[in-house]
Amino acid sequence: MIRRKIFAFILTTLLAASQISVAKASPAGDVPQAKTPIQHLIVLMQENHTFDNYFGTYPGADGLPSGTKMPVDPANPSAGYVVPWHIGTTTITDLSHTATTFSAEYDNGKMDGFVSAINSFNENGTIAMGYYDSSDIPYYWNLADNYVLFDHFFSSAKDGSDANHYYWVAGTYPQVKKGQSLSTLLDNVPTIFDRLQAAGVSWKFYVENYDPKINYRSPSTQNNRESQVVWVPLLNFNRFLDEKDLSSHIVNLSQYYVDLQQGTLPAVSYIVPSGASEHPPEYPASGEREVKSLLQELMRSSSWNSSAFMLLYDDWGGWYDHVIPPQVDQYGYGARVPGLLVSPYAKKGYIDSTTLDFTSVLKFIETNWSVASLSTRDAKASNFLEAFDFTQTPRQATLLSMTYGVASAPNKAPSILIFSTYGLALLLTILAIGFAALRTRTARVPVKE
Amino acid sequence: MPGSATAGSRTMSSARDTRPSLATVSVVHEVAISRLVLAISLVSGSILRLWQINAMGFNTDEAVYAGQAAAIAGVPGLKDIFPIFRAHPLLIQFLLALIYKIQFSDVAGRILAVAFGLGTIYLTYLAGKTLYGRLPGAMAALFLALMPYEVVVSRQFLLDGPMVFFGTLTLYMLARFGKTQRVAWFFAAAAALGLTFLAKETGIILLASVFVFLALSPVLRLRFWDLVLALVLLAVVVSPMPLTLLLAKHGSTGQNYLTYQLFRRPNHPALFYWQSVPQALGIMVLVVGVVGLIFLWSERSWRETLLLSWILVTVLFFQIWPVKGYQYLLPIAPAVALLAGRLMGKLVDRKRDSQTDRKTINTLAVPSLLSWAVVGVLAFSLGQASWQRIQPETSSLFLAGTGGIPGGREAGLWINKNIPLGAHLMAIGPSMANIIEFYGERTAYGLSVNPNPLHRNPAYDPILNPDGQLRNSSIQYIVWDSFSSLRTPFFTNKLLEYVKKYNGRVVHTESIPVKDSQGNTVSQPVIIIFEVHP
Repeated sequence: MIRRKIFAFILTTLLAASQISVAKASPAGDVPQAKTPIQHLIVLMQENHTFDNYFGTYPGADGLPSGTKMPVDPANPSAGYVVPWHIGTTTITDLSHTATTFSAEYDNGKMDGFVSAINSFNENGTIAMGYYDSSDIPYYWNLADNYVLFDHFFSSAKDGSDANHYYWVAGTYPQVKKGQSLSTLLDNVPTIFDRLQAAGVSWKFYVENYDPKINYRSPSTQNNRESQVVWVPLLNFNRFLDEKDLSSHIVNLSQYYVDLQQGTLPAVSYIVPSGASEHPPEYPASGEREVKSLLQELMRSSSWNSSAFMLLYDDWGGWYDHVIPPQVDQYGYGARVPGLLVSPYAKKGYIDSTTLDFTSVLKFIETNWSVASLSTRDAKASNFLEAFDFTQTPRQATLLSMTYGVASAPNKAPSILIFSTYGLALLLTILAIGFAALRTRTARVPVKE
Repeated sequence: MPGSATAGSRTMSSARDTRPSLATVSVVHEVAISRLVLAISLVSGSILRLWQINAMGFNTDEAVYAGQAAAIAGVPGLKDIFPIFRAHPLLIQFLLALIYKIQFSDVAGRILAVAFGLGTIYLTYLAGKTLYGRLPGAMAALFLALMPYEVVVSRQFLLDGPMVFFGTLTLYMLARFGKTQRVAWFFAAAAALGLTFLAKETGIILLASVFVFLALSPVLRLRFWDLVLALVLLAVVVSPMPLTLLLAKHGSTGQNYLTYQLFRRPNHPALFYWQSVPQALGIMVLVVGVVGLIFLWSERSWRETLLLSWILVTVLFFQIWPVKGYQYLLPIAPAVALLAGRLMGKLVDRKRDSQTDRKTINTLAVPSLLSWAVVGVLAFSLGQASWQRIQPETSSLFLAGTGGIPGGREAGLWINKNIPLGAHLMAIGPSMANIIEFYGERTAYGLSVNPNPLHRNPAYDPILNPDGQLRNSSIQYIVWDSFSSLRTPFFTNKLLEYVKKYNGRVVHTESIPVKDSQGNTVSQPVIIIFEVHP
């Protein structure tokens, strides 16, 4: 079994290598046109939440089942249970979210180790059962109401940020063997950007607070900036560091706003945060504001009518999720993560339950811009085309509120009350005048003054 | 104090009795002339009110009232922006909502206002006919039809025009009561007064006019319990306002507005009405009315008491009331027109009068033809003044309350088409914000709205921390307009500072052709929309 997988990996790598050589050749005016009205795909990868953690109580979605309770110790039911609880403004911590943690939480598919696994790291396992609702993440809930919410979107790997970000760009998680360096291995791992570059399809990797000096060769150990190398996997690839025509595509997030204003938004945009990543113990609010800003600028730009914006979360962050992730290979899937799609072609208030993962993003790109797949994962991944309705005229952009429900109805009009009471007043006056006229007519008696 | 009806005056019923004895002017002739004058009044009144009625979009008050109507009718795009309950009762908004249920259009509101304006002309005729006869009634209708005050206001979807309609209906009902002394007409007047209040709450001032009229007219007998019953009827008709506020749990809305009106600072100098209203009424019309009162003093009766109570109580109240508004004195217009119509009607028709009247009139020594010439001059001067007032604005120095704001509708429609739904805009003041909200169907705030609830109109939402809201992208657009910038340079400068600070980019400009100092027509920006990027 393992041999077969190693063989598959080698085969995939070889295939990819052949594609890389193509990538280096500059395209000669043969740029593939998008097969759908989506001319711009923007994917933002935020950090560390599960679907149940963000949308567990969202109406109509596959959220927290009633009666959910998590044993404190799966082996000892008498130790008690933890039920899902609303986090609100309660202080949270960064829960352990390594492959080991996932394995303990997953517990061979029993999904009963979420409290005990965290407790075993001497952390507060109760936190893992916490959830947010519309009062905490109103903007995201408004997005779900107006666009598409994916409720079966899984992280690609049963692991943390590193693995999942690789799946996001390359459809695989390169496994370094003894005596091998990651960078050497990556020289032969194709990414979606190699494909796009080779095909002449424009792309950019926008990085919030991007510092070009921080990469795998000179990782920062200060101010938590080492995450840049994790969240931007391209900074581990020699060619994306050394070759100007590739490295120039990795830019600061401020360029995103410039591109929108100038109408130069590329076909494919990947965005990673820096400060407002929503990575616990950070509250979601700052991330929400960041997402709102990104979306508002897109909606106000000329690119809106041909765009799709995806908001994803790289891993589960240790939080509880009740859906058993399908196992497509030894590495994944990991737990469900929140996923939202915002587009003028997105179905309104639609909950898409297609089983998806980060390689579904690659699948869409490959389908839309006619580029070859990267690995078996993305080749087999489901697409999210079901979330679109390309027969509809592009929906007008809607800048949503940071207060849940405000956009829909601040004015519960008591119209019936007004129509009835004012109508009756008018009728009463007409009757009074009519009565007076009738009395005068019937009297016919001249009145002395 | 006017004498009793029996002592000094001649009633219309008695005039009708003497009609067959008149030698020179037949009743048929009088009816024909009256109808002709009335027809001229209605036709000229219609032309003045409908001429290019939709050339300019709504002004701020029109936008608010039409927005409320749209909210009542549930018009998509507006029902979530405009709160139903604001400062005033909702009778007129309710009537427009009925139209909006069938067809939504900004011109519908103005057509409704014109209908009320024409209705007021006809009611003035009926009131005049009841008080003084057909010809004085028709004369009064003619003066009102051409009067700039009435013309300008009844071309706009404001509450004042309909309020005056119902006020004039009340006046007419009281005239019928005075003439017939049938209490049923007094009850009808009470109900009509209730509608006057429901059109605009300031109409309740006319209740004081009614009391003054009753107190000064002992010839009119009214039993205590009839008065009580009339007040009960008035209360029932008025009840929709408090009832809807209470049932919709908006009880504090009315209280807040009352508090604001009681304690707000005066917005105009004390002589504001004396400077603006006489011209709007027509100074010659006023003079004719006063001359009529003087020269027909011997004929004084409850009729003049009614008209003078109508005028003087209203003028006195609003003169004392610190807050002034151009339209506030409009209810006196029909009464002024009736006083002028009274004299001119008598002058042109003097030969019909009895010996007593002829003696009085002869002292004026005005031949009938000359009287008609005076009527013609009066009508021409009023019509010309009105005609000038309804021409499109060719200057960027706009006067509030006299019409729409040039470019306002066009800017709003551009916003509607080009700016994302849910966008929030910041204007200099609430005037432009209201117009943007109506035509643009986007939420807009006025920077100048005071955050202190004691010092702002409770109908307006202030921007709390505008800098913060721009910084976190809660407000995405800034709108500058020349109308507001002339009124409040301080907030205009503040607004432009925000434009600079948040990388404002012009996305749209509305311009109008204006005359420069050399008389050349140039295009002048009146509204500029900036997109801001923190």
